[in-house]
Amino acid sequence: MDFSIRAANVEDCKDIARMIRELAEYEKVADQVKVTQKDLEQDGFSKNPFFHGIVAEVPEQHRTKEGHTKIGYALYFYSYSSCAGRSIYMEDLYVMPEFRGKGIGKALMSKVAQLGLAAGCNQLNFTVLDWNKSSVDFYLSQGCVDVTDKIGYHCMRCEGEALEHLAQP
Amino acid sequence: KMEYKLRKAEPKDVSDILRLVKELAKYEEMESQVTLTEKDLLEDGFGETPFYHCIIAETPGENSSDEPSVVGFAMYYFTYDPWVGKQLYLEEFYVMDKCRGLGIGSGILRHLSDLAMKTRCTGMMFVVAENNEPSVQFYKRRGAEDLSQEEGWRLFRFDKDSLVKMATPAEE
Repeated sequence: MDFSIRAANVEDCKDIARMIRELAEYEKVADQVKVTQKDLEQDGFSKNPFFHGIVAEVPEQHRTKEGHTKIGYALYFYSYSSCAGRSIYMEDLYVMPEFRGKGIGKALMSKVAQLGLAAGCNQLNFTVLDWNKSSVDFYLSQGCVDVTDKIGYHCMRCEGEALEHLAQP
Repeated sequence: KMEYKLRKAEPKDVSDILRLVKELAKYEEMESQVTLTEKDLLEDGFGETPFYHCIIAETPGENSSDEPSVVGFAMYYFTYDPWVGKQLYLEEFYVMDKCRGLGIGSGILRHLSDLAMKTRCTGMMFVVAENNEPSVQFYKRRGAEDLSQEEGWRLFRFDKDSLVKMATPAEE
């Protein structure tokens, strides 16, 4: 199937917001999505972006029955490791179900890898849910390491009241 | 009670930052994995687009004429969770052995939490090694959730070689 990958622009935020919700539904946590299309526009496309995006598009003749031609995306940002230096973090990777198995996910990830290398990054990090076997298998087949398994790293978060409490003098 | 001061890191601090990075790596038994140099830290943290930010904890010198000593640091940057928005990511956090138990670590965390709230982050994130009991307890006492344990998130990584392989387009 013909498809193209390009940098996301502010007009893509409507489709990205739609697909973020679709990915959250797939991960069974749709009610946790609080970020809106407007947040994405402000946070990703103003002078100091907090993330970058790439979008996968198919030609008109392959659009979905709802009329979508933007059928996959990846969100990433730059991070830093005190061991390895510059790093790229892939926050989201998603292809709509009917477009899977055609190499689009691989192409999106390849693009993120290219962008990371161009910026001087030495590693690409991301998280996967342990029950998401098809994704885990896909990533392992691409040559990555499960750092949680290997070194025992757990992802932690302080939010809401805990964060407010921590900030108290 | 030990007096200490927290301040933003400056280019002159890179040698102390690298020293502390190596000390922390030694504590985590990963010393040989630190390949960063002072030059990297300078370019990556104090150039046009910083990849990280750093705060330093320093204690006064023995005498008033002595230089203060850098005894702790935190390295952080901003990340994005498409569900809940901006996060402050705490990459490194370390206080020298001889200065522990004096409130410096808590002071650094308080400063960063305050910064997170001021910059409208909805959370502060970091990783901890599960066998690092003192750190795990330190964070859990302060209300941190273990997303790996509670929700099943696993951190995956592609190293440089795998990255290069992935970036090469497939043969037609």
